[in-house]
Amino acid sequence: MALLEVDALTVRFGGLTAVDRVGFSVDEGQIVSLIGPNGAGKTTLFNAVTAVHPASSGRVRFAGQDLRAPLSFGAMARILLMALGVGALVQVCSDIEGLWQVAVVDRFDYGQQAWAVRDAWHAAVRHLRAQGPWPALVGGMVGAAAAFNAWRTGRLQPLRARRLGIARTFQNIRLFSELSVIDNVLVGLAGAPYGPLAALLRLPRWRRGETAMRIRARDLLAFVGLERFADVPAGGLPYGHQRRLEIARALAGDPRLLLLDEPAAGMNPAEGADLIELIRAIRARGVTVLLIEHHMNVVMGISDRVVVLDHGVRIAEGDPKTVSCDPKVIEAYLGKEEA
Amino acid sequence: MDGWLILQLLIEGLSYGMIIALIALGYTMVYGVVELINFAHGDLFMLGCYAALTLVGGLGLATATPATLWWALPLIAIACAAFGALINLGVERVVYRPLRGAPKVTVLVTAIGLSFVFINLGLFWGGAPMEVFGGGRAPSSPKDFPNLIGDTTVYDGVVRIALKDVLVVAVTVPLLIALTWLVKGTSLGRAMRAVAQAPTAARLMGVDVDRVIAITFAVGGALAGIAAVVYGLYITSVSFDMGFRMGLYAFTAAVLGGIGNLPGAVLGGLVIGVARSFSDVFLPTEWTNAIIFLVLILLLVFRPTGLLGSTAREKV
Amino acid sequence: MNRPLAWIAALALVAALPWIDLLLPPYWRLGGDVGPILELAIAALGLNLLVGNAGLLNLGSAAFVAVGAYAFSILTTVVYPFQIGFAGGAIGAMAVSALVGAVIAAPTLRLRGDYLAIVTLGFGEIAKDLVTNLDVITSGAEGLTLEPASGARAWLWPYYLALAILAVLVVALTNLDRSRFGRALAAVREDELAASASGVPARRAKLWAFLGCAALCGLYGALYANRLRFSGLPTNYDFQLSLVILSAVILGGMGSIPGVIIGAFIIGGLNSIVLAKVGDLLVRLGLPNDSNSLASPTNWKFLIFGLCLILMMRFRPGGLVPARRVAPAPRASGDGGAHGAA
Repeated sequence: MALLEVDALTVRFGGLTAVDRVGFSVDEGQIVSLIGPNGAGKTTLFNAVTAVHPASSGRVRFAGQDLRAPLSFGAMARILLMALGVGALVQVCSDIEGLWQVAVVDRFDYGQQAWAVRDAWHAAVRHLRAQGPWPALVGGMVGAAAAFNAWRTGRLQPLRARRLGIARTFQNIRLFSELSVIDNVLVGLAGAPYGPLAALLRLPRWRRGETAMRIRARDLLAFVGLERFADVPAGGLPYGHQRRLEIARALAGDPRLLLLDEPAAGMNPAEGADLIELIRAIRARGVTVLLIEHHMNVVMGISDRVVVLDHGVRIAEGDPKTVSCDPKVIEAYLGKEEA
Repeated sequence: MDGWLILQLLIEGLSYGMIIALIALGYTMVYGVVELINFAHGDLFMLGCYAALTLVGGLGLATATPATLWWALPLIAIACAAFGALINLGVERVVYRPLRGAPKVTVLVTAIGLSFVFINLGLFWGGAPMEVFGGGRAPSSPKDFPNLIGDTTVYDGVVRIALKDVLVVAVTVPLLIALTWLVKGTSLGRAMRAVAQAPTAARLMGVDVDRVIAITFAVGGALAGIAAVVYGLYITSVSFDMGFRMGLYAFTAAVLGGIGNLPGAVLGGLVIGVARSFSDVFLPTEWTNAIIFLVLILLLVFRPTGLLGSTAREKV
Repeated sequence: MNRPLAWIAALALVAALPWIDLLLPPYWRLGGDVGPILELAIAALGLNLLVGNAGLLNLGSAAFVAVGAYAFSILTTVVYPFQIGFAGGAIGAMAVSALVGAVIAAPTLRLRGDYLAIVTLGFGEIAKDLVTNLDVITSGAEGLTLEPASGARAWLWPYYLALAILAVLVVALTNLDRSRFGRALAAVREDELAASASGVPARRAKLWAFLGCAALCGLYGALYANRLRFSGLPTNYDFQLSLVILSAVILGGMGSIPGVIIGAFIIGGLNSIVLAKVGDLLVRLGLPNDSNSLASPTNWKFLIFGLCLILMMRFRPGGLVPARRVAPAPRASGDGGAHGAA
C-alpha cells in the first residue's frame, strides 16, 4: 500500500497556480525524487504535504489517514467546553457589579452580618437568571465559533503532519541557530519521557528521561556524522553540516516519511557522494524518503522512482532511466528543440 | 432618537477624528516604509504642542488681533512642522539607523525608550518660566493653550459647525492629497515604495535607502508638528503625558485603515473620532478609552490588515 | 567562581541585609526598600518567561500585577467576607491572573511579535480602566485597604517571604530551562515554523509561557498589596510599571535568570533607593525636592528608563548578563543535582 498519496493537489497564490492537479504516490521503503526546473512548484508541493501552506484543493493521504485532522470526539468536546466556558464567563461578566452587589455587598454589609455562602449563591443564581439567557447564548456562540475556527485552522498544521509521521528539511535551512547542535536534535525528539513537574523539581524521572534523550540524540548525531560538534551553536556550523543537522533533527521524531528539500544544494561532489550514502542509510532504517534535488547524479544514483514537475504540472513519472529519456522531460529542462 | 443630535455628534466626531488622522498619517508614513511602529510618534506630537505653545506665548499671540493670527498661525504651523521634522531626522540618524536590520522587537523597544525620553523632555519643558506654562511653577500640570480661534461658528442652525471644525478639515484633507501625491506621483515616492517592498533590491537599483528613510521620518515628524498646532488650537489644553494616549489612538486609526495606507489612516481616524463621540454620549464616558482599545485589540486579532489593507504571507 | 556558590553567597547576603542594616547610620539604612526589589525580581522572572524564553514582547504586564493585587485584596480584606489569609489570597491572585492571561492569550498568540506587543499594551490600558470603573468591587479610585500590620520592623516577614519565593523560583526556572520544555520554548523563539515542523506544539508552548508570566506578575501584585496592606490605586498600574518590569528584563539580559535578577536590582534600586536617597540629599542640602522642582530626581525617571532601553538595544541587546543559549549537558549522574553546573 502506498505510504503517501497525493491526489489532484492544487495550490494557488492569488491568480498564480503553483501546483496544478498533481497526483503521485510514494510506497513504503522507496526513495522517490521530485525534480523539475526552478519554479516548477516542487517546494510548494512539499509545503502542502507538510501542511506549511494549505492546498487550495485536492487531497493528501498518509498511511491511509487524511492530512486534514478529522473532527474527532476530543475536538468536539473542546468546542463544547469552550462554548460553555465563554458563555458562562459572559453571563457572569455582563453585569458583574450587580452580581457582586447582591451576592457579596448586600449579604455582608461590612461585617454587620455573617456571610452565608449558600444564601449568596442563591442570590447570585437569581441575579443571573434575571439577566435572561442572552449574554450566555451570545457568549456561547462566540466561544463555539472561535473554538471551531481554531480547530478548522489547526487541523492542517505542520505539527499534524509531523505527528502523522512526516518529517522534513527546508530549502533555506531553518535551524535553531542559537541553540547547540545537540539541542536542535533534542527539540525534535519524539516522546515525552517526563512531565513538567519532574522538570521543575529535577525529579529522578527528569534525570533518567534527559539521559535517555541525550543518548538517542547523540546516536542520531553520530548517524549523520556530527557527534563531534554536539555542543557548538548550530548557527556556527558549515553549510553542509547544517543540512545534515536538519536531517538529524527531522529523524529525531521517528518519522515514516522524510522529505528532503534540496539536501545536496551547495555541496561539492565528494559531499554529494556522502549524502547519497546517508540517504541510503536512512532508508535502511526503515524511513521512506521523498526528495527534491537538482544534482542529477544524486537523483539517478539513489532514486527508485522519479516524479517530474514543470510549471506546476506533473509531466513524467517512472524509474530514473525511463524518465531521463522522456522527451517531455528533456524539453522541460533544455527547452523545445528547433525542428 | 433625535436625528439632529446624531448629525451633531457625527460632525464633532469627524473633526476630532481629523486630528487623530493627522497623527495617524505620520504613524502610517513611517510604518509604510520601514515597518516600524514608531511608538515615540505620539510623544513627538506632544513636544510639537509644547513648541507651538512656546511660540504662541513668545510672540504674545494670546492677545493678538485676528488679522495678525491670519499670517502668524500658518507660520507657527510651518515652524512646528520643521521642529518635528528636525527632531525625527536627528532621532532617525542617531537612534534608528544603527539598528537597521535588527529584529523588529529590538527596534520597538528602542522606540518605547525614545517615547519615555520625549515624555521627560516634555516634563522639563513644562517647567519653562513662561506665562503660558504657568510661570514654570508646576511642570507636570496640564497647560492651557490660548483659545486663539475662539468658539465662532460658521453655521448655527439645527446643528452647530464651528470654525475649528472647518479648520481641521481644511488642514487634513489637503495634506492627505499632498501626501498621496508625494507617494504615488513623485520619484521620491517611487523610491519610498521601492524601499518598503525590498530595501536591498532598492539599494542595488541605486536608491539611496538611508536618504529615503530619513526623508520619510522627516515627513512623519512634520505631520506630527502640524497635528500639534491643530490640536492645540482645537482642544486648547495640552500636557506632557498626553502623547501616549493620543499615540495609541492614532496607531489604532492607522491599523484600522490598514497600516501603511494613507487614505486608510484618515478613514481610521474618522472612525475612531466618531466612535469616541458616540460612546461619550451613549455609554458612560469612563468607558470610552477601554472601548477604543478594545477596538484596537479586536482589529489586530481579527483583521490585522485593516479595513483597506491586503494580506501577505511569510515566505518559506 | 562556581555558579551555585555565587547563588548561595548572594542569597546569604540578601538574607542578612536587614540585620546589617541595623549597624548602618540611620541615614544610610535601607529599611524596607530592598523587599520591593525582590518582589520586582519575581515579576521580572515571570515576564522573562515570555520575553526571554518564548521571545514574545509583553507591554502590559502591569495589568496582571493589577489583577493580582486586586484579587489578593478582595480575597483578604475585612470589607469582604472571603478573608482567606495570605496563602489562599496569593494562590487565588495567581489563579485569577492566569485566567485573565488565558482569556487574553488564547486569541492573540498567533499575532506577529510587534502586533502582540501592541495588543498587550492596549490590554494594560483596558485593565486599568476596568479596575477604576468597576468601583462596586474595587472601590474605584480609592482602592481597597487591608488590615494594617503592626510592629516597627513589620516589613521583615514580607521581605523574607519574597526572598524565599525568589529562591524557589530561581531553582525551578533554571530547571525548566534545562528541560525539554525550556528547549521547546527556545525553539519557538528561534523559528516557530521549524519548531512545529519538528513536533513542538508551538501555540501551546507560548500559551503556557503567557500563563506563567501572568501568574508570576499576579503573585507580584499579591506580594505588593500584602506589603502595603493596600490594593494600590488603579493609577499605580499604568504603563510605567510595565516598563519598569520590562526594563529589568532587558537591562539584565533577556532569557538569563541571573541577568534578570541583577536587572531588577538595578532598576528597582534606582527607582526606590537611589532616586529617593538623592531626593533626601537635596532636602538635606536645603534644595527643593517636591514634584514641581525639576531638580527632583523623580522627575528624571522617564529619561533614565528611556535612555536605558535605547542604549541597551543599541550596544548590548543581550543585556548585562547575556543568556547562555548553548546549555551545558547535565552530568551523567552523581553530581548531587546542583543546578547550573558550569
